[in-house]
Amino acid sequence: MAKIVVIGAGFAGHTAALYLGDKLGKKHTVTMINRHDSFAYIPSWIWVGVGHMKPEKTTFKLAPVYKRMNVYFIHGVATKVYPDEGQQFVEVAKENGDSTRVEYDYLLVATGPKLNFAGTPGLGPDQGENTYSVCSLPHVLQTRDKYLEYVERMKKGEKVKMVIGTGHPGATCQGAAFEFIVNIHKDLVKKGVRDKAELMWLSNEAALGDFGVRGIRAKFQGKLTSSEEFISAVFKDHDIKWQVQTGVKKVDTDKIYWENYEGETGETEYDFAMLIPQFLGQPIQYIGKDGQDVSEKVVNKPGFVLVDGIYGLPYDVLERNPDAWPSQYQNPNYRNIFAAGIAFAPPGPISRPHTTPNGTSITAAPPRTGMVSGIIGRIVALNIIDLVKQGRMTHSERMTEMVAACIASMGDSLWDGNAAVMVIHPVVPDMKRYPNEDGRDLFTTHMEMGLGGAWMKRMLHDTFIWKLRGLPGWKIIPE
Amino acid sequence: MEITKKDKFWMNFKLFQLWRFIVLNIKILKAVDHSKRS
Repeated sequence: MAKIVVIGAGFAGHTAALYLGDKLGKKHTVTMINRHDSFAYIPSWIWVGVGHMKPEKTTFKLAPVYKRMNVYFIHGVATKVYPDEGQQFVEVAKENGDSTRVEYDYLLVATGPKLNFAGTPGLGPDQGENTYSVCSLPHVLQTRDKYLEYVERMKKGEKVKMVIGTGHPGATCQGAAFEFIVNIHKDLVKKGVRDKAELMWLSNEAALGDFGVRGIRAKFQGKLTSSEEFISAVFKDHDIKWQVQTGVKKVDTDKIYWENYEGETGETEYDFAMLIPQFLGQPIQYIGKDGQDVSEKVVNKPGFVLVDGIYGLPYDVLERNPDAWPSQYQNPNYRNIFAAGIAFAPPGPISRPHTTPNGTSITAAPPRTGMVSGIIGRIVALNIIDLVKQGRMTHSERMTEMVAACIASMGDSLWDGNAAVMVIHPVVPDMKRYPNEDGRDLFTTHMEMGLGGAWMKRMLHDTFIWKLRGLPGWKIIPE
Repeated sequence: MEITKKDKFWMNFKLFQLWRFIVLNIKILKAVDHSKRS
């Protein structure tokens, strides 16, 4: 009987747990270790952040789902992993204060990110409540309350400057920040106070619309259009000012201190700011059989799990080598450890990196959205099922082969809402397979916006929560 | 590029958007089908 352990019930880990429980749960042991007892549907937090959706609509309890899917659930935090043969187990600090050891034959690390607010002095709700975040549910609720407080002040005539974007030179997840700023715009228009707010986009992207994937180009209204043109048209229409190629270095109560590509430093005043922090891997210790730290065999310096990618290539080489991206997400030193979602270490950035004359790297890290994470979670789960049943893996998919559909909400109303729909294929450009300027399939890659996108975003909320609850037909709903 | 009044009209014209909604669903499903085969 095989013992499979998954750490982390986000998009990647939870998707994997559903497949593993479904195929192996009855004859083998599948265990999920998660620090929260609920699943959180993060893409809809953007609506929670502007007070348009109740938080409970974005979560559901995990225990009943796992009971139905034959997955054993432990509510706790994985603190140590002992990966050497003969003593392979995970040490877990349980929610009730106890600790336990969970043995494994196969381990999937899908912990999601550690939000490294400390990487930028003064950033985030826990460093003096200078800026806010939409990266965890408690943070979203804080953000919503503060935002609504400012709306009330605007209703009384006060002018407010809101800055939204990234709070670290190496941050990712610009898409969420983009959704937040356009949803704020739409909300303020509806509340009749848009003229009281100055909205500003501040990000580490190489260009507007880069989103950490080197931007996209697609036919829009019959013309080949870049995401830079597309997003700048949206920002001009919404009267949102922008500043890109900027790494935030420090924040205090009313100023954001930054450095730009040219190495110039400056400061931006603000009243309300939502800035995405740097993401690091979750701090799990990997300990060898003699008690020595073997973390360097499992994770890189920022704490992301090393998998079957080719690491250390210069960007110009990586850009031309699609096979450098991992295909099976398996650790090369411990072949029974896998990683999925944000937890795996990408071989490098997708967007061109930049180092300022002062030596600061301002480079958007590769995003791993819900769809990408879900796909990787499924691939790893299917490979573990293969290994248990037939001893060899048959599934693989690199991010240089993967399709991602991103639907960025620009107003949630089903009557007059809006959303930008972007289909990207592949997520990471493959210059060999698609020898055009973008390295992408220009037939599949697509970009448009309209009310239909808002309907899709809402439909995805309902269908994905249905799928992730493991309700009838969950397998036919794609990741 | 700028978003014109005409663009805004089409972006919120319900019948047209229903058509786009159907087309986009098919497009995305076709794209993810590629991924499902991996």
